[in-house]
Amino acid sequence: MTKLEAQNIVKYFSHESHKLKALDGVNLKVEAGAFVCLVGPSGCGKSTFLRIVAGLEKPDEGQILFDGRPVTETGPERIMVFQEGALFPWLKVRDNVEFGLRMAGIPKEERTKISNRYLDMMQLTKFADSYTYQLSTGMKQRVAIARALVMDPDVLLMDEPFAALDAQTRDLLLVEMQLIWEKTKKTILFVTHNIAESAVLGTKVAIFSNRPSSIKKEVENNFPRPRVTEDESLLQFQQDILSELRPEVKKTTEW
Amino acid sequence: MGGHFTLHRIAFYVGLVAAWQIIAMIGIWPSNVFSSPYEVAEDLVYTAMDGSLFYGVAMSMWRLAAGLTIAIGGGIILGVFMARVEVVNQTVGSLVLGLQSIPSIAWVPLAILWYGLNDAGIIFVVAIGAIFAVTINTYTGVKNIDPHFIEAARNMGAKGSQLITAVLLPAAFPYMISGFKQGWAFAWRGVIGAELLFAYMGLGHLLYAARSLTDVSQVIAIMLVIMAIGLAVDGVVFKRVENRIMSRWGLR
Repeated sequence: MTKLEAQNIVKYFSHESHKLKALDGVNLKVEAGAFVCLVGPSGCGKSTFLRIVAGLEKPDEGQILFDGRPVTETGPERIMVFQEGALFPWLKVRDNVEFGLRMAGIPKEERTKISNRYLDMMQLTKFADSYTYQLSTGMKQRVAIARALVMDPDVLLMDEPFAALDAQTRDLLLVEMQLIWEKTKKTILFVTHNIAESAVLGTKVAIFSNRPSSIKKEVENNFPRPRVTEDESLLQFQQDILSELRPEVKKTTEW
Repeated sequence: MGGHFTLHRIAFYVGLVAAWQIIAMIGIWPSNVFSSPYEVAEDLVYTAMDGSLFYGVAMSMWRLAAGLTIAIGGGIILGVFMARVEVVNQTVGSLVLGLQSIPSIAWVPLAILWYGLNDAGIIFVVAIGAIFAVTINTYTGVKNIDPHFIEAARNMGAKGSQLITAVLLPAAFPYMISGFKQGWAFAWRGVIGAELLFAYMGLGHLLYAARSLTDVSQVIAIMLVIMAIGLAVDGVVFKRVENRIMSRWGLR
Protein backbone atom coordinates (compact mmCIF):
# COMPACT_ATOMS: atom_id res chain seq x y z
CA MET A 1 0.00 0.00 0.00
CA THR A 2 1.32 3.43 -0.89
CA LYS A 3 1.55 5.62 2.21
CA LEU A 4 3.08 8.70 0.63
CA GLU A 5 3.33 9.84 -2.91
CA ALA A 6 5.14 12.85 -4.30
CA GLN A 7 3.79 13.90 -7.67
CA ASN A 8 5.99 16.12 -9.79
CA ILE A 9 7.10 18.44 -6.98
CA VAL A 10 8.60 21.70 -8.26
CA LYS A 11 10.01 24.31 -5.90
CA TYR A 12 11.73 27.62 -6.55
CA PHE A 13 13.93 29.48 -4.14
CA SER A 14 13.89 33.22 -4.46
CA HIS A 15 17.47 34.32 -4.34
CA GLU A 16 17.79 38.11 -4.19
CA SER A 17 15.88 39.25 -7.29
CA HIS A 18 15.90 36.07 -9.35
CA LYS A 19 14.26 32.73 -8.83
CA LEU A 20 16.30 29.58 -8.51
CA LYS A 21 14.76 26.24 -9.38
CA ALA A 22 15.54 23.90 -6.52
CA LEU A 23 13.26 20.94 -7.19
CA ASP A 24 12.45 20.03 -10.76
CA GLY A 25 9.69 17.45 -10.67
CA VAL A 26 10.37 15.08 -7.80
CA ASN A 27 8.36 11.87 -8.03
CA LEU A 28 8.47 9.29 -5.26
CA LYS A 29 6.24 6.54 -3.96
CA VAL A 30 6.74 5.37 -0.40
CA GLU A 31 5.12 2.12 0.66
CA ALA A 32 3.67 1.82 4.16
CA GLY A 33 6.35 0.61 6.54
CA ALA A 34 9.22 1.47 4.19
CA PHE A 35 12.41 3.12 5.37
CA VAL A 36 13.41 5.41 2.54
CA CYS A 37 16.68 7.33 2.67
CA LEU A 38 17.09 10.42 0.53
CA VAL A 39 20.69 11.17 -0.44
CA GLY A 40 22.06 13.85 -2.70
CA PRO A 41 24.69 16.54 -3.04
CA SER A 42 24.45 19.27 -0.42
CA GLY A 43 22.13 22.08 -1.45
CA CYS A 44 20.17 19.83 -3.81
CA GLY A 45 16.92 20.48 -2.03
CA LYS A 46 16.36 17.10 -0.36
CA SER A 47 15.66 18.80 2.97
CA THR A 48 13.28 21.19 1.20
CA PHE A 49 11.53 18.18 -0.26
CA LEU A 50 11.17 16.70 3.23
CA ARG A 51 9.75 20.00 4.51
CA ILE A 52 7.21 19.94 1.69
CA VAL A 53 6.20 16.42 2.69
CA ALA A 54 5.85 17.67 6.27
CA GLY A 55 3.64 20.51 5.06
CA LEU A 56 6.05 23.14 6.39
CA GLU A 57 6.53 24.50 2.88
CA LYS A 58 4.29 24.56 -0.16
CA PRO A 59 5.46 23.29 -3.55
CA ASP A 60 5.17 25.64 -6.52
CA GLU A 61 3.85 22.75 -8.60
CA GLY A 62 2.81 19.20 -7.91
CA GLN A 63 1.40 17.67 -4.77
CA ILE A 64 2.07 15.26 -1.94
CA LEU A 65 -0.50 12.56 -1.33
CA PHE A 66 -0.80 10.97 2.07
CA ASP A 67 -3.01 7.86 1.97
CA GLY A 68 -4.24 9.23 -1.33
CA ARG A 69 -5.27 12.62 0.08
CA PRO A 70 -3.38 15.80 -0.80
CA VAL A 71 -1.26 17.34 1.96
CA THR A 72 -1.94 21.04 2.56
CA GLU A 73 -0.44 21.67 6.00
CA THR A 74 1.43 19.99 8.82
CA GLY A 75 -0.30 17.16 10.57
CA PRO A 76 0.32 14.84 13.50
CA GLU A 77 0.43 11.87 11.12
CA ARG A 78 3.67 13.24 9.62
CA ILE A 79 6.12 14.27 12.33
CA MET A 80 9.44 15.91 11.58
CA VAL A 81 12.66 15.29 13.51
CA PHE A 82 14.95 18.25 12.96
CA GLN A 83 18.69 18.15 12.48
CA GLU A 84 19.38 20.02 15.68
CA GLY A 85 16.48 18.39 17.46
CA ALA A 86 14.64 21.66 18.10
CA LEU A 87 14.09 20.61 21.70
CA PHE A 88 12.53 23.17 24.01
CA PRO A 89 15.15 24.29 26.53
CA TRP A 90 12.53 25.52 29.00
CA LEU A 91 11.09 22.03 29.42
CA LYS A 92 12.46 18.97 31.13
CA VAL A 93 13.11 15.93 28.97
CA ARG A 94 9.83 14.34 30.00
CA ASP A 95 7.87 17.51 29.26
CA ASN A 96 9.56 17.79 25.88
CA VAL A 97 8.52 14.24 25.08
CA GLU A 98 4.97 14.90 26.26
CA PHE A 99 4.62 18.20 24.40
CA GLY A 100 2.38 16.94 21.59
CA LEU A 101 0.18 15.04 24.03
CA ARG A 102 -0.23 18.15 26.14
CA MET A 103 -1.22 20.17 23.08
CA ALA A 104 -3.81 17.50 22.31
CA GLY A 105 -5.26 17.95 25.79
CA ILE A 106 -4.46 14.46 27.03
CA PRO A 107 -4.59 14.32 30.85
CA LYS A 108 -1.38 14.23 32.84
CA GLU A 109 -1.76 10.68 34.07
CA GLU A 110 -2.12 9.25 30.61
CA ARG A 111 0.66 11.44 29.27
CA THR A 112 3.02 10.03 31.89
CA LYS A 113 2.08 6.50 30.95
CA ILE A 114 2.75 7.11 27.27
CA SER A 115 5.96 9.08 27.78
CA ASN A 116 7.31 6.40 30.12
CA ARG A 117 7.06 3.89 27.31
CA TYR A 118 9.03 6.00 24.85
CA LEU A 119 11.52 7.28 27.40
CA ASP A 120 12.23 3.64 28.12
CA MET A 121 12.47 2.75 24.41
CA MET A 122 15.00 5.54 23.83
CA GLN A 123 16.85 4.73 27.09
CA LEU A 124 16.09 8.14 28.52
CA THR A 125 14.34 7.13 31.74
CA LYS A 126 17.28 8.28 33.86
CA PHE A 127 17.20 11.68 32.19
CA ALA A 128 13.46 12.30 32.41
CA ASP A 129 13.93 15.17 34.87
CA SER A 130 16.98 16.73 33.19
CA TYR A 131 16.91 19.87 31.14
CA THR A 132 18.17 19.65 27.60
CA TYR A 133 21.30 21.71 28.22
CA GLN A 134 22.46 18.92 30.50
CA LEU A 135 22.37 16.37 27.66
CA SER A 136 24.93 15.37 25.05
CA THR A 137 24.09 15.85 21.37
CA GLY A 138 23.30 12.15 21.05
CA MET A 139 20.97 12.23 24.02
CA LYS A 140 19.22 15.25 22.60
CA GLN A 141 18.51 13.38 19.38
CA ARG A 142 17.10 10.49 21.40
CA VAL A 143 14.74 12.95 23.04
CA ALA A 144 13.80 14.38 19.65
CA ILE A 145 13.00 10.90 18.35
CA ALA A 146 11.02 10.02 21.48
CA ARG A 147 9.09 13.28 21.20
CA ALA A 148 8.17 12.38 17.61
CA LEU A 149 7.26 8.76 18.38
CA VAL A 150 4.95 9.80 21.21
CA MET A 151 2.70 11.38 18.57
CA ASP A 152 2.33 7.89 17.07
CA PRO A 153 2.63 9.28 13.53
CA ASP A 154 2.26 7.10 10.45
CA VAL A 155 5.30 8.76 8.97
CA LEU A 156 8.51 9.96 10.58
CA LEU A 157 10.37 12.62 8.61
CA MET A 158 13.99 12.83 9.68
CA ASP A 159 16.19 15.66 8.44
CA GLU A 160 19.82 14.62 8.89
CA PRO A 161 19.20 13.83 12.54
CA PHE A 162 22.59 12.23 13.09
CA ALA A 163 24.71 14.76 11.17
CA ALA A 164 26.06 16.45 14.28
CA LEU A 165 26.93 13.26 16.17
CA ASP A 166 30.35 11.72 16.73
CA ALA A 167 31.02 8.41 14.95
CA GLN A 168 30.47 6.11 17.94
CA THR A 169 27.21 7.72 18.99
CA ARG A 170 26.01 7.65 15.42
CA ASP A 171 26.79 3.93 15.01
CA LEU A 172 24.87 3.19 18.17
CA LEU A 173 21.87 5.20 17.04
CA LEU A 174 21.96 3.63 13.58
CA VAL A 175 21.48 0.22 15.19
CA GLU A 176 18.78 1.52 17.51
CA MET A 177 16.99 3.28 14.70
CA GLN A 178 16.62 -0.06 12.90
CA LEU A 179 15.20 -1.67 16.04
CA ILE A 180 12.76 1.20 16.54
CA TRP A 181 11.64 0.96 12.96
CA GLU A 182 11.09 -2.80 13.28
CA LYS A 183 9.28 -2.40 16.58
CA THR A 184 7.04 0.54 15.66
CA LYS A 185 6.47 -0.31 11.96
CA LYS A 186 6.66 3.37 11.06
CA THR A 187 7.12 4.62 7.55
CA ILE A 188 10.32 6.65 7.61
CA LEU A 189 11.70 9.24 5.23
CA PHE A 190 15.27 9.95 6.21
CA VAL A 191 17.41 12.69 4.64
CA THR A 192 21.16 12.24 4.90
CA HIS A 193 24.31 13.14 3.03
CA ASN A 194 26.05 10.13 4.53
CA ILE A 195 25.98 7.18 2.14
CA ALA A 196 26.96 4.62 4.78
CA GLU A 197 24.07 5.82 6.91
CA SER A 198 21.62 5.40 4.05
CA ALA A 199 22.96 1.92 3.28
CA VAL A 200 22.57 0.81 6.89
CA LEU A 201 19.09 2.25 7.41
CA GLY A 202 17.15 2.18 4.18
CA THR A 203 14.89 -0.38 2.60
CA LYS A 204 15.30 1.94 -0.32
CA VAL A 205 17.72 4.74 -1.15
CA ALA A 206 16.52 7.55 -3.41
CA ILE A 207 19.35 9.49 -5.02
CA PHE A 208 18.77 13.16 -5.80
CA SER A 209 20.51 14.79 -8.73
CA ASN A 210 22.19 18.15 -8.52
CA ARG A 211 20.03 21.30 -8.62
CA PRO A 212 17.53 21.73 -10.15
CA SER A 213 17.03 18.30 -8.75
CA SER A 214 14.82 15.32 -9.19
CA ILE A 215 15.23 11.76 -8.07
CA LYS A 216 17.84 10.27 -10.33
CA LYS A 217 17.64 6.71 -9.17
CA GLU A 218 16.00 4.54 -6.53
CA VAL A 219 17.90 1.54 -5.19
CA GLU A 220 16.32 -1.24 -3.17
CA ASN A 221 18.30 -2.53 -0.22
CA ASN A 222 17.37 -6.00 1.01
CA PHE A 223 20.41 -6.82 3.11
CA PRO A 224 19.55 -8.60 6.36
CA ARG A 225 19.30 -6.59 9.59
CA PRO A 226 20.55 -5.44 11.93
CA ARG A 227 23.13 -3.83 9.69
CA VAL A 228 26.19 -1.96 10.91
CA THR A 229 28.34 0.56 9.08
CA GLU A 230 31.33 -1.79 8.81
CA ASP A 231 29.32 -4.59 7.13
CA GLU A 232 31.51 -5.63 4.20
CA SER A 233 28.52 -6.93 2.31
CA LEU A 234 27.18 -3.36 2.24
CA LEU A 235 30.34 -1.91 0.71
CA GLN A 236 29.40 -2.73 -2.88
CA PHE A 237 25.97 -1.20 -2.29
CA GLN A 238 27.62 1.94 -0.98
CA GLN A 239 29.94 2.00 -4.00
CA ASP A 240 26.98 1.85 -6.35
CA ILE A 241 25.30 4.82 -4.68
CA LEU A 242 28.54 6.72 -4.63
CA SER A 243 29.11 6.21 -8.34
CA GLU A 244 25.64 7.61 -9.01
CA LEU A 245 26.22 10.51 -6.67
CA ARG A 246 29.75 11.47 -7.62
CA PRO A 247 28.95 13.15 -10.95
CA GLU A 248 26.16 15.10 -9.21
CA VAL A 249 28.45 16.32 -6.47
CA LYS A 250 31.00 17.25 -9.12
CA LYS A 251 28.41 19.42 -10.87
CA THR A 252 27.89 21.45 -7.72
CA THR A 253 31.52 22.49 -7.81
CA GLU A 254 31.12 23.67 -11.39
CA TRP A 255 28.43 26.17 -10.45
CA MET B 1 32.65 34.76 44.89
CA GLY B 2 36.19 34.82 46.29
CA GLY B 3 37.01 36.00 49.79
CA HIS B 4 39.38 38.63 48.39
CA PHE B 5 36.58 40.14 46.39
CA THR B 6 34.42 40.63 49.48
CA LEU B 7 37.39 41.89 51.50
CA HIS B 8 38.29 44.49 48.89
CA ARG B 9 34.73 45.65 48.83
CA ILE B 10 34.40 45.99 52.60
CA ALA B 11 37.72 47.84 52.78
CA PHE B 12 36.59 50.23 50.04
CA TYR B 13 33.33 51.15 51.74
CA VAL B 14 34.86 51.46 55.18
CA GLY B 15 37.49 53.76 53.66
CA LEU B 16 34.88 55.77 51.82
CA VAL B 17 32.73 56.36 54.92
CA ALA B 18 35.83 57.18 56.97
CA ALA B 19 37.02 59.72 54.40
CA TRP B 20 33.54 61.25 54.30
CA GLN B 21 33.45 61.50 58.10
CA ILE B 22 36.92 63.11 58.19
CA ILE B 23 36.04 65.66 55.50
CA ALA B 24 32.86 66.53 57.39
CA MET B 25 34.80 66.89 60.65
CA ILE B 26 37.44 69.17 59.09
CA GLY B 27 34.54 71.57 58.51
CA ILE B 28 35.30 72.96 55.04
CA TRP B 29 31.57 73.31 54.54
CA PRO B 30 29.02 73.94 57.33
CA SER B 31 27.35 70.78 58.56
CA ASN B 32 23.89 71.84 57.36
CA VAL B 33 25.31 71.77 53.80
CA PHE B 34 27.66 68.79 54.06
CA SER B 35 26.37 66.27 56.60
CA SER B 36 28.60 63.67 58.14
CA PRO B 37 27.83 59.98 57.73
CA TYR B 38 27.07 59.92 61.44
CA GLU B 39 24.33 62.52 61.03
CA VAL B 40 22.94 60.69 58.00
CA ALA B 41 22.84 57.45 59.98
CA GLU B 42 21.14 59.23 62.84
CA ASP B 43 18.48 60.61 60.50
CA LEU B 44 18.02 57.20 58.96
CA VAL B 45 17.33 55.77 62.40
CA TYR B 46 14.88 58.58 63.28
CA THR B 47 12.86 58.23 60.08
CA ALA B 48 12.87 54.49 60.54
CA MET B 49 11.78 54.76 64.17
CA ASP B 50 8.85 57.09 63.56
CA GLY B 51 7.63 54.83 60.76
CA SER B 52 7.71 57.46 58.03
CA LEU B 53 10.52 55.66 56.21
CA PHE B 54 8.73 52.32 56.08
CA TYR B 55 5.52 54.02 55.10
CA GLY B 56 7.33 55.82 52.31
CA VAL B 57 9.08 52.66 51.12
CA ALA B 58 5.82 50.71 51.16
CA MET B 59 4.05 53.45 49.23
CA SER B 60 6.74 53.68 46.57
CA MET B 61 7.00 49.92 46.25
CA TRP B 62 3.26 49.52 45.83
CA ARG B 63 3.19 52.10 43.06
CA LEU B 64 6.20 50.49 41.46
CA ALA B 65 4.64 47.04 41.62
CA ALA B 66 1.32 48.22 40.23
CA GLY B 67 2.90 50.23 37.43
CA LEU B 68 5.39 47.53 36.53
CA THR B 69 2.69 44.84 36.48
CA ILE B 70 0.66 46.90 34.03
CA ALA B 71 3.79 47.59 31.98
CA ILE B 72 4.81 43.94 31.84
CA GLY B 73 1.33 42.70 31.00
CA GLY B 74 0.70 45.34 28.37
CA GLY B 75 4.25 45.20 27.01
CA ILE B 76 4.10 41.45 26.46
CA ILE B 77 0.79 41.65 24.62
CA LEU B 78 1.98 44.56 22.48
CA GLY B 79 5.36 42.94 21.80
CA VAL B 80 3.88 39.61 20.73
CA PHE B 81 1.41 41.33 18.43
CA MET B 82 4.15 43.42 16.86
CA ALA B 83 6.30 40.35 16.29
CA ARG B 84 3.56 38.18 14.85
CA VAL B 85 1.49 40.66 12.84
CA GLU B 86 3.53 42.67 10.36
CA VAL B 87 0.89 45.42 9.99
CA VAL B 88 0.92 46.03 13.74
CA ASN B 89 4.70 46.23 13.65
CA GLN B 90 4.75 48.73 10.80
CA THR B 91 2.15 50.97 12.43
CA VAL B 92 2.20 50.61 16.22
CA GLY B 93 5.87 49.59 16.14
CA SER B 94 7.07 52.96 14.88
CA LEU B 95 4.97 54.76 17.46
CA VAL B 96 6.42 52.59 20.24
CA LEU B 97 9.95 53.56 19.21
CA GLY B 98 8.97 57.22 19.34
CA LEU B 99 7.22 56.98 22.68
CA GLN B 100 10.12 55.09 24.18
CA SER B 101 12.36 58.09 23.68
CA ILE B 102 10.19 60.19 26.02
CA PRO B 103 11.63 60.15 29.55
CA SER B 104 8.97 58.90 31.97
CA ILE B 105 9.20 62.13 33.97
CA ALA B 106 7.94 64.01 30.91
CA TRP B 107 4.61 62.22 31.30
CA VAL B 108 4.07 63.77 34.73
CA PRO B 109 2.25 66.97 33.62
CA LEU B 110 -0.14 64.92 31.50
CA ALA B 111 -0.67 62.44 34.33
CA ILE B 112 -1.51 65.26 36.74
CA LEU B 113 -3.96 66.78 34.29
CA TRP B 114 -5.61 63.45 33.51
CA TYR B 115 -5.63 61.77 36.90
CA GLY B 116 -4.97 64.52 39.42
CA LEU B 117 -2.48 64.38 42.25
CA ASN B 118 -3.08 60.81 43.32
CA ASP B 119 -1.85 57.22 43.12
CA ALA B 120 -3.36 56.57 39.73
CA GLY B 121 -1.36 59.41 38.20
CA ILE B 122 1.92 58.13 39.59
CA ILE B 123 1.15 54.54 38.56
CA PHE B 124 0.38 55.82 35.08
CA VAL B 125 3.80 57.49 34.89
CA VAL B 126 5.51 54.34 36.12
CA ALA B 127 3.63 52.08 33.70
CA ILE B 128 4.08 54.28 30.64
CA GLY B 129 7.75 54.72 31.43
CA ALA B 130 8.37 50.98 31.58
CA ILE B 131 5.97 49.50 29.05
CA PHE B 132 7.91 50.24 25.87
CA ALA B 133 11.12 48.63 27.11
CA VAL B 134 9.11 45.47 27.81
CA THR B 135 7.38 45.75 24.43
CA ILE B 136 10.57 46.15 22.43
CA ASN B 137 12.39 43.33 24.20
CA THR B 138 9.43 40.98 23.88
CA TYR B 139 9.22 41.86 20.20
CA THR B 140 12.93 41.18 19.70
CA GLY B 141 12.65 37.95 21.69
CA VAL B 142 9.76 36.59 19.67
CA LYS B 143 11.43 37.65 16.41
CA ASN B 144 14.59 35.81 17.37
CA ILE B 145 12.97 32.50 18.22
CA ASP B 146 14.56 29.62 16.38
CA PRO B 147 11.97 28.98 13.63
CA HIS B 148 12.39 25.26 14.18
CA PHE B 149 10.80 25.66 17.63
CA ILE B 150 7.66 27.06 16.05
CA GLU B 151 7.65 24.55 13.22
CA ALA B 152 8.12 21.63 15.58
CA ALA B 153 5.39 22.91 17.90
CA ARG B 154 2.92 23.39 15.06
CA ASN B 155 3.81 20.00 13.69
CA MET B 156 2.91 18.58 17.11
CA GLY B 157 -0.44 20.30 17.03
CA ALA B 158 0.15 23.61 18.85
CA LYS B 159 -1.87 26.48 17.47
CA GLY B 160 -3.36 29.85 18.37
CA SER B 161 -3.08 30.86 22.00
CA GLN B 162 -1.53 27.49 22.84
CA LEU B 163 1.36 28.29 20.53
CA ILE B 164 1.82 31.65 22.24
CA THR B 165 1.77 30.43 25.83
CA ALA B 166 3.50 27.08 25.32
CA VAL B 167 6.20 28.14 22.88
CA LEU B 168 6.49 31.81 21.92
CA LEU B 169 6.60 33.24 25.43
CA PRO B 170 8.94 30.68 27.01
CA ALA B 171 11.20 30.75 23.94
CA ALA B 172 11.37 34.55 24.04
CA PHE B 173 11.83 34.64 27.81
CA PRO B 174 15.58 35.34 27.88
CA TYR B 175 14.91 38.55 25.95
CA MET B 176 11.78 39.33 27.92
CA ILE B 177 13.68 39.16 31.19
CA SER B 178 16.05 41.87 29.99
CA GLY B 179 12.97 43.84 29.04
CA PHE B 180 11.63 43.42 32.57
CA LYS B 181 14.97 44.51 33.94
CA GLN B 182 15.06 47.63 31.82
CA GLY B 183 11.39 48.20 32.59
CA TRP B 184 12.06 47.96 36.29
CA ALA B 185 14.93 50.45 36.02
CA PHE B 186 12.71 52.92 34.18
CA ALA B 187 9.86 52.26 36.62
CA TRP B 188 12.07 52.87 39.66
CA ARG B 189 13.35 56.14 38.26
CA GLY B 190 9.83 56.99 37.22
CA VAL B 191 8.24 56.39 40.61
CA ILE B 192 10.79 58.50 42.50
CA GLY B 193 10.65 61.27 39.93
CA ALA B 194 6.87 61.31 39.83
CA GLU B 195 6.62 61.33 43.63
CA LEU B 196 9.00 64.30 43.77
CA LEU B 197 6.78 66.25 41.41
CA PHE B 198 3.43 65.01 42.67
CA ALA B 199 4.64 65.63 46.25
CA TYR B 200 2.17 63.00 47.36
CA MET B 201 3.65 60.39 49.71
CA GLY B 202 6.35 57.82 49.00
CA LEU B 203 10.14 58.01 49.03
CA GLY B 204 10.15 60.75 46.40
CA HIS B 205 7.94 62.85 48.60
CA LEU B 206 10.18 62.26 51.63
CA LEU B 207 13.04 63.52 49.52
CA TYR B 208 11.01 66.54 48.53
CA ALA B 209 9.97 67.22 52.12
CA ALA B 210 13.56 66.97 53.35
CA ARG B 211 14.64 69.40 50.67
CA SER B 212 11.91 71.87 51.76
CA LEU B 213 13.28 71.71 55.31
CA THR B 214 16.84 72.09 53.97
CA ASP B 215 17.61 68.89 55.85
CA VAL B 216 20.67 67.67 53.91
CA SER B 217 21.31 64.62 56.08
CA GLN B 218 17.69 63.53 55.59
CA VAL B 219 18.04 63.97 51.80
CA ILE B 220 21.16 61.83 51.74
CA ALA B 221 19.54 59.23 54.03
CA ILE B 222 16.58 58.83 51.66
CA MET B 223 18.93 58.65 48.66
CA LEU B 224 20.80 55.83 50.35
CA VAL B 225 17.54 53.97 50.86
CA ILE B 226 16.66 54.45 47.18
CA MET B 227 20.05 53.10 46.19
CA ALA B 228 19.78 50.13 48.55
CA ILE B 229 16.40 49.11 47.17
CA GLY B 230 17.70 49.45 43.63
CA LEU B 231 20.70 47.26 44.37
CA ALA B 232 18.57 44.70 46.14
CA VAL B 233 16.10 44.30 43.30
CA ASP B 234 18.83 44.20 40.65
CA GLY B 235 21.13 41.90 42.54
CA VAL B 236 18.70 39.59 44.23
CA VAL B 237 15.66 39.34 42.01
CA PHE B 238 17.01 39.85 38.51
CA LYS B 239 20.44 38.34 38.81
CA ARG B 240 18.97 35.11 40.12
CA VAL B 241 16.25 34.79 37.54
CA GLU B 242 18.69 35.71 34.79
CA ASN B 243 21.31 33.22 35.87
CA ARG B 244 18.79 30.42 35.95
CA ILE B 245 17.29 31.29 32.60
CA MET B 246 20.64 31.74 30.89
CA SER B 247 22.02 28.39 31.94
CA ARG B 248 18.82 26.51 31.23
CA TRP B 249 18.43 28.01 27.79
CA GLY B 250 22.02 27.00 27.12
CA LEU B 251 23.10 30.60 26.62
CA ARG B 252 26.04 30.29 28.93
